[in-house]
Amino acid sequence: MRFGGRGRVVYTLLAPASALVAPAPALAVEYLTVGQAQAAIFPDADAFEARELSLDSAQQRALEAKLGGAVRARWPARLARRGGRLLGVLLVDEVIGKFERITFATGVDAAGAVRQVEILVYRESHGHEVRLPAWRKQFVGKTAASPLQVGEDIANISGATLSCRHVAQGVRRDLAVVEALRRAGALP
Amino acid sequence: MRALGKDPDVPPTTQANRVHRALSRPSLATRLCALALAFAPGLASAATADAQKSAPASESSTVITSYGEINYNRPADPAEARIDLRRFVLGLQHRFDEKTKLVTELEVEHAVSSAGDKGEVEIEQAYIERQFGEHWAGRAGLFLVPFGLLNENHEPTAYYGVERNFVETAIIPTTWREGGVQAVFTFDPGFTLQAGVSTGFDINKWDATSIEGRASPLASIHQELQLARARDLAGFGALNWRGIPGLQLGGALFVGNAAQGQTGSAVVALWDVHARYNPGRLDLSALYARGTISNTAALNAPLAGNPTLIPEAFDGWYVQAAYRLWTQGDMALAPFARYEQFNTGRSYADLGSGAPAGLPTERVVTAGLNYYVTPEVVVKADVQRFHEDTSRNRFDLGLGWSF
Repeated sequence: MRFGGRGRVVYTLLAPASALVAPAPALAVEYLTVGQAQAAIFPDADAFEARELSLDSAQQRALEAKLGGAVRARWPARLARRGGRLLGVLLVDEVIGKFERITFATGVDAAGAVRQVEILVYRESHGHEVRLPAWRKQFVGKTAASPLQVGEDIANISGATLSCRHVAQGVRRDLAVVEALRRAGALP
Repeated sequence: MRALGKDPDVPPTTQANRVHRALSRPSLATRLCALALAFAPGLASAATADAQKSAPASESSTVITSYGEINYNRPADPAEARIDLRRFVLGLQHRFDEKTKLVTELEVEHAVSSAGDKGEVEIEQAYIERQFGEHWAGRAGLFLVPFGLLNENHEPTAYYGVERNFVETAIIPTTWREGGVQAVFTFDPGFTLQAGVSTGFDINKWDATSIEGRASPLASIHQELQLARARDLAGFGALNWRGIPGLQLGGALFVGNAAQGQTGSAVVALWDVHARYNPGRLDLSALYARGTISNTAALNAPLAGNPTLIPEAFDGWYVQAAYRLWTQGDMALAPFARYEQFNTGRSYADLGSGAPAGLPTERVVTAGLNYYVTPEVVVKADVQRFHEDTSRNRFDLGLGWSF
């Protein structure tokens, strides 16, 4: 039983009960690898091209002004193709949930709409419901023009408000980056 | 320790509270570089994609958190108006590795704590959490009991109104914590099950001469891991379902003998059912909680004649509606209204000469506004009207924060 259905558990040592108070790194859990995420988001792709996308300083400033926060210049991405035709682009991003990082992947189709969002790593004690397919499904079809605001077009999860809000902000950022790069001709 | 630099992957509103220890383990920036390299042309391909880790294997980080509130209450008698730094909380979370972390919160209530003052210094949380698998984690230490809608999410930005609702303070003694072990399971489609064994209440703390037990029966006998009697432990469980975006349905149960070997038996049982629906701008919630204490006839026999006997049942419920009326950037204005009923002495056991009459049920209407200056800073205003004790009618103002 798992939210995404594609998680992977890596045991390096079976954790004894005493591990509750013994900080020995005995277990590592990976909900989804990047490879699994790209396959889940673009199951129809027959090739993925790894490419680092770069924003110039003017694009960076414009996005920061639009989004109201820092936007990094370098964006490692994967371009999903089928028969040479571009299906979309995958970005892996991170936001802070309440206290800790959430690693997620946003798949954007060739028209600039979200194909799917996948949570790769979630570390918070609460709020793991952002991994639920029903919650992530709300992002499908959203574009850079969408509000992507919790309480507007994205429903909240009670007890996980900050995680919801910040993942939504992250997806909005990813869409804005892809749109800016498309306009600049850096993406097909 | 050093403050984390400006990190483009981190929303600016949450960057300031992150403090990373620059130990031998990789920093966030280093790990992001590693993530970037994993995508670099020549290193990544579809064939090797599955072997790549989506996140670093381990990290060591310490996070500082805080929440607090300053409240102004002006009841019908203006001479009773008060401004109070209700609570100031500093939290420290430290992640030992990818699966193990320490969660702590230190709270000061009423600004000043000394022998001659009314303030208190409390440890609100101090537990180790270990993620054992994809779907379950364990906690050991002093933790918040999973109960109702507020107890685990009690920061002022998380609830409407200057003061927490009465049902989740008088019946469920928020912020309620116990020492013990707890397992947290998550499973499809959207269920969270929390269960454990912990310290419980101590009926021997009941003070029949004080009105504290009338204000909140369980808050007057909680132990908060302060040299807590542990002869009798308690069991608890909570199940919540969040399978539909915006909807939460759940309930919780806590049962334990509060006699602690000092008296015959005094089983405290508390349960609640709750619902919240927050699909967009609308935010609806409802909760019912009921507690019972067994053997109160025998327990109250030596207390007869005192003003506050031990109730055999106490309960309450509320319904609440809020609407995010206006937003501009991070700012938001949310009016709300809440109706609640609660009775901290619903019934008493027969002491031989007939059962003492139960207390009257208090009914409270609260209406007001939460104004979010940012998502982490809230200014609140409300009016509260009491049906039974109208002297408690009041106007409240509050300033709260949480990060």
